[in-house]
Amino acid sequence: MATRGTNRARLLLVSLLVTSLLFITLDLRGVSVVSSIRGFTQSALAPLQSFGSTLISPIGQFFSDLLNLNNTRERIDELEKENQELKAQVIFNKDIEGELKQLKGVLDLAGKARFKTVSARVISKGGTATISESIVIDQGSNAGIRRDMTVIAASGLVGVVKSTTASASVVMLMSDPAFRVGVRVAGSQFMGILSGEGQNRFSLQMLSAAADISVGDVLLSRGSSGDAPFVPGVPVGKIVFVENAIGQLTKQARVESFVNLNSIGVVSVVLDSRGNNPGDALVPSAPRPAPTVTVFVTPSPNE
Amino acid sequence: MSINRVPISAGLLLLVFLFQETFVNRINFYLGGFALYLAFAIAWILREERSSAVLIGFLAGLIADLSPTLEAPFGLWTFTMTGLAFLIVTYVLGSLDSNMSPLTLSIVTTIFCSIALMLFVIFGAILGQDLPSLSVLARELIGNALWSFVLAPLYIPIAIRTHKLSLSARERS
Repeated sequence: MATRGTNRARLLLVSLLVTSLLFITLDLRGVSVVSSIRGFTQSALAPLQSFGSTLISPIGQFFSDLLNLNNTRERIDELEKENQELKAQVIFNKDIEGELKQLKGVLDLAGKARFKTVSARVISKGGTATISESIVIDQGSNAGIRRDMTVIAASGLVGVVKSTTASASVVMLMSDPAFRVGVRVAGSQFMGILSGEGQNRFSLQMLSAAADISVGDVLLSRGSSGDAPFVPGVPVGKIVFVENAIGQLTKQARVESFVNLNSIGVVSVVLDSRGNNPGDALVPSAPRPAPTVTVFVTPSPNE
Repeated sequence: MSINRVPISAGLLLLVFLFQETFVNRINFYLGGFALYLAFAIAWILREERSSAVLIGFLAGLIADLSPTLEAPFGLWTFTMTGLAFLIVTYVLGSLDSNMSPLTLSIVTTIFCSIALMLFVIFGAILGQDLPSLSVLARELIGNALWSFVLAPLYIPIAIRTHKLSLSARERS
């Protein structure tokens, strides 16, 4: 009896493994039924995720903040000070205010480049089980969004639209290991390829052996043919470390993105660049040094 | 496993999947993240018999494959979870006490969560998926293991109770 039970379990295992291999084969061969299943799931999930996003946003950072109390202390002090100043004014919802700030920033960036954009809220993120870096936004094909469109935030590039449904889109973040974007160094115009490495880490591989790069250099997107997937001139990040390994044909560097991909609430999808290439116009301006006042004291002859 | 249990089990797993996609994914966990659905499904499989565990593994994988943010081909989680469920019930459960204590269940669940993620990455790599760097992968695995263990007192009792709910009166006794 036990052998019969074991055989039955093995037969079941084989048939289920074969079924799953069939799913994989169909998906890799691009059968539309299989690929549209996830689109259907996204359509069904979008309203729930939108609700969940509203509900979870006040506690979303709880676990990470708990272990970064030192860093958050300064931020809390800053916010408390800001709170005092705002007491006399109308009390705004903090979340909405933050989102408006991000929205203003992203619209400023898009306006400066004269891009036609549509703004969207981030309603979900890719989970650990997906081993990918992605977000879900609450605008889809109904708003004109299509696959391979550039997604930006107030400070620069966020990623690229991977798939869309009528009311939501999945965006591959620039930190995803599969993400590659052609970049150029603002000013010198040297070109390279920026790759995501997960967890807000990026590496840059220059294309030319003669390319001279240094820490602090700003990288801008180079743009793609037909502006898909990348429109030109969007700030991507700045070089934080140049690797000088012997034997490398071209220079490599570590890059820090301008956008904090862990805390984006609002993004804009570039629908049309209108043929504009903003060149270096979108390079973020360096923070102005605080003016210093020097006082010279001259002793009077009477003293 | 009675055929009546299939829709009940699938429904309960789907509910946990929706909870994961709607709420858990929005939380920024320190050090990687937490795959509640994966941990829940494995805790459930650990309480099943051989043939039903394989079927539950298949269902759990199929639901995990529905995730819209998943880059991997549809069916990869199904394949991984089916194989892993068979591996658990054939080679692991036999050497463990049938009435595992909650602590043992938490530890075994945490270990198999990490194994499931590793197998998923390995199978993905074989199919040509882009791999994250080793440090990122290690961070994800350690983070997920940490949270799977720390939060086990929350989800393990729910997994045990819902599993009991799905059993028929004869299976319970």
